Amino acid sequence: MRKLIYILLFFCLISNAKTITVGRLYPVKTIKQAIALANDGDIIIVTQGVYKEENIIINKKIKFLGKNFPVLDGQNKAEVLSVAADSVVIKGFKIINSGHAALDDPCGIKVYDRNFVVIENNILDNNFFGIYLQNCKNAVVKNNTIKAYGKQEQLIGNGIHCWKSDNLQIIGNKISGHRDGIYFEFVTQSVIWRNISSYNIRYGLHFMFSNDDSYITNVFKGNGAGVAVMFTKNVKMFNNYFEENWGDSAYGLLLKEISDSYIFNNRFARNTSGIYMEGTSRIKVEKNIFEANGWGMKIQASCMENEIVNNNFLGNTFDISTNGSLVLNTFNSNYWDKYEGYDLNKDGFGDVPYHPLSLFSVLTENNPSSMILFRSFMITLLDKSEKVLPSITPDNFIDNKPLMKSLPL
Amino acid sequence: MKTLFIYMIVITTLISCNSKESVPIKLNVDTCEFCKMTISNGKFGAELITKKGRNYKFDDVACMIQFAKSNTVVPYDAFYVNDYLKDNTLIPAETAHFINGEKISSPMRGNFAAFSSVNEQMEFKKKLEAKTMTWSEVYDAYK
Repeated sequence: MRKLIYILLFFCLISNAKTITVGRLYPVKTIKQAIALANDGDIIIVTQGVYKEENIIINKKIKFLGKNFPVLDGQNKAEVLSVAADSVVIKGFKIINSGHAALDDPCGIKVYDRNFVVIENNILDNNFFGIYLQNCKNAVVKNNTIKAYGKQEQLIGNGIHCWKSDNLQIIGNKISGHRDGIYFEFVTQSVIWRNISSYNIRYGLHFMFSNDDSYITNVFKGNGAGVAVMFTKNVKMFNNYFEENWGDSAYGLLLKEISDSYIFNNRFARNTSGIYMEGTSRIKVEKNIFEANGWGMKIQASCMENEIVNNNFLGNTFDISTNGSLVLNTFNSNYWDKYEGYDLNKDGFGDVPYHPLSLFSVLTENNPSSMILFRSFMITLLDKSEKVLPSITPDNFIDNKPLMKSLPL
Repeated sequence: MKTLFIYMIVITTLISCNSKESVPIKLNVDTCEFCKMTISNGKFGAELITKKGRNYKFDDVACMIQFAKSNTVVPYDAFYVNDYLKDNTLIPAETAHFINGEKISSPMRGNFAAFSSVNEQMEFKKKLEAKTMTWSEVYDAYK
């Protein structure tokens, strides 16, 4: 008998979920009206058209679906879509023109203190902040295209901004033109996977105080200052591309006050500096490619116990530079295209240790304007003599087993 | 006449050398001297000028104070902070009115906002549930 009641109850629940269609040709004309009519578990389908409704608040557990990308226009006045209910699904909208205000950060879509929200397949164009997750758990942000038109000297928000959240999945988004493409602050146990973050004003990806996260197979290209991972521990960075971050203070990857992390199988190509490390400890840098950078890695004296193993250094102006004389990091079995040693016993490793730190990279670190003498005859001569008899560069700053052939990465 | 002219040139050069004026922060171009981040928010920036007239720029008041205290050898002349309400305008820190609170959310989580008048300070103290502070209190907040 009890079973029967349960089954009946189950059917009741299913049949209760109704679908409300919004559109010019339907009885419900506005989204706000539809939300007012809806109950938890309902589906709202918005048909094609332009909806100029400011600040739509979704405060019920509903599926909010767009058909043929209906446009939600904030008319540069306010926040477009606010989510204030758990388990909301937002799918298939084009959200444009949120307000631009410095004091209250209006967004394309903002989620306030909610769990299990899904934001999928939306196009966000010209918003102050794109998607903002504030104090959320188990949210999914997937396959959105987020674009803004920020300029230098102008305040603009981040593409995907996550604050005090846990268990997020940021997957397959394309972000450009914001301040930071993806911004994590106090976010834990989250994954960033297969995103393309390019041509943002500041960073492609920015981590602050966010532990135990990983970012895998992303492309960060042409951002104002690359990617920054700061004040963080236990971050895994696998299979990413860091490309074309040029500028005085631009780095492929900026590591500051970070520990116990793993950088594996990434590609750093055509950056001013591939990796810049400061206050970094116990990090393993393995099987990465550093190609055609100004500096492959800049390791400041405040770094220790980092392991740099099995990387390819190809065609960088300087492979490594540092501002200290103490050697607290280990280099082992890397391939350096500037290595000029030999391998008599044919074990694949060079018989003479390699000094990745050139004299000139130390000189320019201490005195940047000496760069003007680069590639002059005297400097080349000094560099050669320094290789034989290290005097300015620390003599134990070496790779003991440099590879003879580059690794197939 | 000629000597006067030379004197004038010398004096103007000396004066211009000695200027302790703040240099405007270029948003999204300048980097913070302490945390190395690009400065992108004109509400929270700060600037420090040494006795020799060198400028250091910061993205957060907290960065400036920590920088100042980590390098005690260098004598400092002036501290400037961004006015919270005027985009990227520097005001002298000594005369600024500060508030501090979680809701302010500055780039490096110093969470200080500076105002040029007490009225504004009080208004935002209420709005952002913050506490008021003087410059010396702010300066002593970090070791």
